[in-house]
Amino acid sequence: MTATRSAPAIEHAGGGRRGALAPGLLPLPALASLAAGLLLLPALALAQPGNPNPDASAPTAVSPGSGRCGVCHPTERVQFEKSQHAEEGVRCTSCHGGNDRSLEVASAHGAGFRGRPARKDVPALCASCHSSEARMRPYNLPVDQHALYQTSGHGRLLARGDTRVAVCSDCHGAHDILPPKDPASRTFTLNIPRTCGACHGDSTLMKQRGKPDVFRLYMGSVHARELYDRGNLRAPTCVSCHGVHGAAPPALGDVDKVCGQCHTAERRYFMAGGHYRARSGDDGPECASCHEAHTVQAAQPERLAGSCAQCHAKDAKTLALGRRIWTDYHSAADEVEKAAALTARADAVPLQTDDYRARIEEARTYLREALPAAHAVQEDVVAGFTTRARSMGHEVQSEIYGKLGHLRQRKFVLILFWFYLLLTLLVLKRYRDQGARKGSPDRP
Amino acid sequence: MSATRPPDPNGRASWVDWLERRINLSEIFSFLTHFGFVITPVDTSRPVREVLREVAETPVPKYASGPRVLGLLTAILFALEAVTGVLLAYYYKPTPEAAFESTRTIVRDLPAGWFLHQMHAWGAWLLAAVVVIRLLRLFWDGLYRAPREVLWWTAVAMVWLVLQLDFTGRLLTWDAHSYWATVRGMEVVFALPIAGPILAFLLGGRVVNDDVLIRFYALHVMVLPTFYAACVYFTFATLRRVGLSPAPEGRPEATTTFRDHLYTMLMLTVGLFGVLVTLATVLPFRFLSAADPYVTPGGVRPPWYMLAPYATLQWLPVPAWL
Repeated sequence: MTATRSAPAIEHAGGGRRGALAPGLLPLPALASLAAGLLLLPALALAQPGNPNPDASAPTAVSPGSGRCGVCHPTERVQFEKSQHAEEGVRCTSCHGGNDRSLEVASAHGAGFRGRPARKDVPALCASCHSSEARMRPYNLPVDQHALYQTSGHGRLLARGDTRVAVCSDCHGAHDILPPKDPASRTFTLNIPRTCGACHGDSTLMKQRGKPDVFRLYMGSVHARELYDRGNLRAPTCVSCHGVHGAAPPALGDVDKVCGQCHTAERRYFMAGGHYRARSGDDGPECASCHEAHTVQAAQPERLAGSCAQCHAKDAKTLALGRRIWTDYHSAADEVEKAAALTARADAVPLQTDDYRARIEEARTYLREALPAAHAVQEDVVAGFTTRARSMGHEVQSEIYGKLGHLRQRKFVLILFWFYLLLTLLVLKRYRDQGARKGSPDRP
Repeated sequence: MSATRPPDPNGRASWVDWLERRINLSEIFSFLTHFGFVITPVDTSRPVREVLREVAETPVPKYASGPRVLGLLTAILFALEAVTGVLLAYYYKPTPEAAFESTRTIVRDLPAGWFLHQMHAWGAWLLAAVVVIRLLRLFWDGLYRAPREVLWWTAVAMVWLVLQLDFTGRLLTWDAHSYWATVRGMEVVFALPIAGPILAFLLGGRVVNDDVLIRFYALHVMVLPTFYAACVYFTFATLRRVGLSPAPEGRPEATTTFRDHLYTMLMLTVGLFGVLVTLATVLPFRFLSAADPYVTPGGVRPPWYMLAPYATLQWLPVPAWL
């Protein structure tokens, strides 16, 4: 009786409720029950099943999903109860076999008991449900994951008998599988780099395989900054470029197609440019040649010289092209920003600036288009946008300077104003003095 | 009676005579002068020409010069504020959504709107300076002694009213700096032991919001100017009884005619107008972005006359219940 009553307390002890109160914040009775639960943990094995639980909503040792397995496997039970599988009626026996109604190890682990599935068997085990169209149709889930997996780098190595590769449970978890939309899930967008990084960020393992620590490389990329610093969930993670279940590095000629899924304008200009035409087969410049593969970086003037020199080391004219495009773009951007700063100054006067703001936005749109256009590596293509942006910036600047100059003219008008003012004062003084003479008592 | 009067001895028949035959102008003039413009009583049974001539020749002490001019300036500047203020009110909308926009419309889009706005702002600045200097001068020369107590109280009230007018008017533009200057100023006022809670009750809370804006507007355009005008009247009315401030010791009281005095006052007004126009053009008050209660711009502080209590409050350990 005592043992079964302490079952809810075990929930705390097993860390079952993540994010519950920190120990320092727990009230005294809760601490007491926690201690009692820890002390009574060994006694759980002797607990009598079938006792009605006073709190029906809390998971118990005996529950529909885990049957009576949780009596001996409390940690797994706690993990499993919160998983998507438990919610959908999958039971321990669905994967492990055996009899979850028995409390005796001999009969529970009896006929049909598979125990812990071997790593090489995991994909097929998961596929027994997830490749079934009939079972997946209600969830509108795809059934091609297993087929895709077999084409992936992971799947091909596994087929060759290398079990030190990712299987389903490495990415999705074993007992604690959650849907990818759940922020706690390992396959949630924000968690994907870390999930892949569990192996691909393990430098020892990667050294053995002769591969770079791509997790660390990715974390230094603009993509990771976009994802983590700006919280943009649409920023690319590992799976965006490598595929999900069919994860594999893109083929050499395919990199621009992969990047072009998001960077459509860049790819369009790239394909129209000299770099694309210069490609022969799989050899030749592609996105990663300048931007790196995992450490993806935006073009920078200091990097530009280096990345161009990789191929154009001897050709000084071509080498300078990158820098010229860069300088052209930035001089145009400077003009537009100067115009924007001047607009703020005019606003403070205040002058009517709505039209200028609209034009500056238009100039910024041209600048935004100039960056993808730089992928054509042709000066005239980029200049088509930068010239327009620059001239709009110039226009706005000169118009605002004109208006501000007009304001300065007011100050010159002041001189004229003071001339008339002094004249008025003189006239008034004359009138006063005349009146004083006329109005003096000695007047006849 | 007036209709049977002989025409002007100079033989000129002007619109004054035409009107004089139809309405008692002397009575109207008397009514106007009741507010302190003329020191002599006016005989309303005589034609206005005679009355004016007599009034113009009345000897008056020279009070449009020296420190006495300060009192005159408080009236002239107030008149200027009233005129520009009424014109500004034609376009101003006292709601948080429209206050900044409408002020910007006045300043930016209306012809000479910027001029009105700057004249009003600089006029307020000068008015505040003048009333404070005048108070210091009255104190320095001991002009609070009997029988001039009412004048002194009125001068104190005028300082208080001008500062209130400045404080309430400052918020109306609803731009970032004016808004936050008001917020800081209100913090000073709310920290006062008794006045603070009372004021918070009158303004409907301790937050500067639309309620405060409309109440400040009402105070700024109706209540406070009325009291100020009353103070101006009290000043003139008291002066008629107790006389102008005495001339400096050892110097005889210089007298002039009322006519000359009017000319001097006109010249003073023109000069003042010139100074204001120069200030408004050369040093216009800047106009920031619209106020955002959730974004405090850098360097906000209460208006200058609240800096001392503000600094004191920052330095004092204020009890939590305040």
